[in-house]
Amino acid sequence: MTDAAATDTTLATHVDPVATTGGVDLAALYRQSGVGEVMRQLDDELVGLAPVKSRIRDIAALLLVDKARHAHGLGGGAPSLHMSFTGNPGTGKTTVALRMADILHRLGYTRRNHVVAVTRDDLVGQYIGHTAPKTKEALKKAMGGVLFIDEAYYLYRPENERDYGQEAIEILLQVMENQRDDLVVILAGYRDRMETFYRSNPGMASRIAHHVDFPDYTPDELLRIAELLAARMDYRFDEAGLAAMREYIALRVTQPHFANARSVRNALDRARLRQASRLFSAAGEGETTPDRERLMTLSSEDLRASRVFQGGRESAITTTHH
Amino acid sequence: MRITQGTFSYLPDLSDAQITKQLQYAIDKGWAVGIEVTDDPHPRNTYWEMFGLPMFDLRDAAGILLEIHNARKTFPDHYIRVTAFDSTHQVESVVLSFIVNRPKEEPGFRLVRTEEPGRTLRYSIESYAVVARPEGARY
Amino acid sequence: MNALAKDAATEITTSTKRYKAGVLKYAQMGYWQPDYEPKRTDIIALFRITPQEGVDPVEAAAAVAGESSTATWTVVWTDRLTACDMYRAKAYSVEPVPGIPGQWFCKVAYDLSLFEEGSIANVTASIIGNVFSFKPLKAARLEDMQFPVAYVKTFRGPPTGIIVERERLDKFGRPLLGATTKPKLGLSGRNYGRVVYEGLKGGLDFMKDDENINSQPFMHWRDRYLFVMDAVNKASAATGEVKGSYLNVTAGSMEEMYKRAAFAKELGSVIVMVDLVVGYTGIQSLSNWCRDHDMILHLHRAGHGTYTRQKNHGVSFRVIAKWMRMLGVDHIHAGTAVGKLEGDPATVQGYYNVCRDAHTKVDLVRGIHFEQDWGALRKVMPVASGGIHAGQMHQLLDLFGDDVVLQFGGGTIGHPDGIQAGATANRVALEAMVLARNEGRDIANEGPQILRDAARWCSPLKAALDTWGDISFNYTPTDTSDFVPTPTAV
Repeated sequence: MTDAAATDTTLATHVDPVATTGGVDLAALYRQSGVGEVMRQLDDELVGLAPVKSRIRDIAALLLVDKARHAHGLGGGAPSLHMSFTGNPGTGKTTVALRMADILHRLGYTRRNHVVAVTRDDLVGQYIGHTAPKTKEALKKAMGGVLFIDEAYYLYRPENERDYGQEAIEILLQVMENQRDDLVVILAGYRDRMETFYRSNPGMASRIAHHVDFPDYTPDELLRIAELLAARMDYRFDEAGLAAMREYIALRVTQPHFANARSVRNALDRARLRQASRLFSAAGEGETTPDRERLMTLSSEDLRASRVFQGGRESAITTTHH
Repeated sequence: MRITQGTFSYLPDLSDAQITKQLQYAIDKGWAVGIEVTDDPHPRNTYWEMFGLPMFDLRDAAGILLEIHNARKTFPDHYIRVTAFDSTHQVESVVLSFIVNRPKEEPGFRLVRTEEPGRTLRYSIESYAVVARPEGARY
Repeated sequence: MNALAKDAATEITTSTKRYKAGVLKYAQMGYWQPDYEPKRTDIIALFRITPQEGVDPVEAAAAVAGESSTATWTVVWTDRLTACDMYRAKAYSVEPVPGIPGQWFCKVAYDLSLFEEGSIANVTASIIGNVFSFKPLKAARLEDMQFPVAYVKTFRGPPTGIIVERERLDKFGRPLLGATTKPKLGLSGRNYGRVVYEGLKGGLDFMKDDENINSQPFMHWRDRYLFVMDAVNKASAATGEVKGSYLNVTAGSMEEMYKRAAFAKELGSVIVMVDLVVGYTGIQSLSNWCRDHDMILHLHRAGHGTYTRQKNHGVSFRVIAKWMRMLGVDHIHAGTAVGKLEGDPATVQGYYNVCRDAHTKVDLVRGIHFEQDWGALRKVMPVASGGIHAGQMHQLLDLFGDDVVLQFGGGTIGHPDGIQAGATANRVALEAMVLARNEGRDIANEGPQILRDAARWCSPLKAALDTWGDISFNYTPTDTSDFVPTPTAV
């Protein structure tokens, strides 16, 4: 074993195979780190997303090999780990960020397994002197783990040259550069807007080591998501119900404000509401108490009542609740 | 003279690595940690200046260490201590407090005795540094 | 007392029979009520009783209930002028003591209206007044008591308490350190103050008068106070810390004690001290005085060993500790477990918990038989004093945690390089141990190594370890736990 490994206790505790044999048993390293478990969890949690999962796997492999290299005294200081997750809403960025934090922690790149998620409002103040304390507060809370900044481009408002967002960006940059051992930052948002943001903030772009693009889900994937989400809540579609869901998805993706998995979840919530109301009025008309089977089943009519089928947009879930 | 207030004053000055471990102990207990600064270390001077508010809800000591570094940069020749607060019912007070920065020279205190009738004496403690110079220019 | 013959005991409920002149069994008089469910406002006492040969334990328990409440040895008709059913204490449970044949635990419930508010004197006059001399019992011991929060709130509790004491002293996150000035007797005021100054300057937080230092011919109390306070203030200036020395105000009368306490205050002392031998009422009066004068009250439990130590007879110290918390002391000597004086570690931890818990839970292994809601009464700082030294620092911190005063008398003053060196050795050992514990190290096992590491840069600690490192007092304690933890325990 090398001295480099001996001086890094974080590594030494995780990298026994390297320490004892002197050779690099990557498979053993992988097993011990438990990264495989995280990847499986990711597979369970998220349907599809093959390109994203493969990117995450690549990053995990890179980090693993970096560790092995480090144990042999190869390569320079700590790698930059800051990342950018781009994609439309509902494509799994937050979930993947949680799993990424898990991977970083298991591999010993972060001390704690936590993600602090913020937006512009958490970082930028409204008055002079308010921004630095707010940004620092968020950074301090995230220390040791991952800071996830959603819709990061709102930090930069070129139309207002006195916008306090710039101050937040500068503080962020400083910490991203000087405290790479203490914090990993993940910036997230729509791809096109993030690209504009990076073009205007080259300092930020240069500190991002990994870009992960999250594609929209295919209609088939969305349908599987619908089934998965329903099953998690102990519901299932009957045959007509599944067909209705498929049609619903096909119509919904063409409409504005489509938010991938999130739109599917909202549609399911409304369908559950309609199913409950359907069972309730049936009982009022003297039907027998619904059995377990009927309580679990989402049917075609629970979906087809949606305005999406009438060429209209689905109303917000909050108003549906009233 | 070395002022020995605080939990660890009889040990050699703590390194940042040692300070980090104590801070993490406090964070893991759910305590809030504040940084306080003074150039008047009289034993009964309770209220040192706060260097920002106590930090709540942190998970890692790096955030506090960052502020300790800021405080040292701003007040290199002051006394700086970190103070941990436990909000548990019927504790609700300080539970750990130790010095993380002290002036290069510590002139210490003079015991002032005032003779009273009989054999009685009245005592007060006077800081040489405080008597010599105004706040901000003492060390 | 042939009335205590061994046969079934049932209450006589017909009033003509019950109040007929003569001698009845206590159980028949209504002092044994196996179905009684204690009310939330009852005071409950647990006695360990050893009945004489041939005496039924149930009848003995009923006798304890009777003799500690309304009963006398014969039936009196004047009972019927009172709500005597309520005033009667009720023995409601009798169980054999595990592993000790002939001894029984009996629980007795007392109605709240039997007691005067805010008076431990009244509680003790009832509960331990007559009953311990009662002939049918070979021996009796008051093991534990539970007080309803309604009664607890009639007491003011510690005048200062652990939290405020620490805030006043500006000392947090570690046990406090003290030492008793030695030799106990014979030092003049001037020589005495020297010991105080050296100990405090070397790193102790407190010095302490011994229990029998009052106002003897070799040193009158005013001389002692004057010299000690010069030493305290000088040490405070030398270190920048708040320092104190427990000035013992114990005297022959309350008037004299007040006078001494007032002079201690006039000289600026943060703390005064009193001995348990002045009695519950005397201590409580002094506690009230301390509350009015922002003074910490230290209690030395002088004399307690005469009735707390033997397991079969007397009063357990955990009960004394509860009484003292209610009537209001800030410090109480509660044992060391590892030092020269009596104390099994689990039992001693039980005393500490009674002093420091916000809410005490049943903990049989530590001798705690009852839950106790302390009604936000302040917490008492236990004091570990007697035959302890720096080499045991890891054990002491592991057993007792932060809220304790560790007093190293001989372990400070007997240091080969002098008192200051002795004090410094203790302070360094303590801080090194707290630092290590907070870093997550296993101090119970790594303690000796942690001390040796600190001794490498601290020669006073090295000398202390070389002198006392191997000293321990391994005698079998007499007051041990009746309940040992077993894997099958429910």
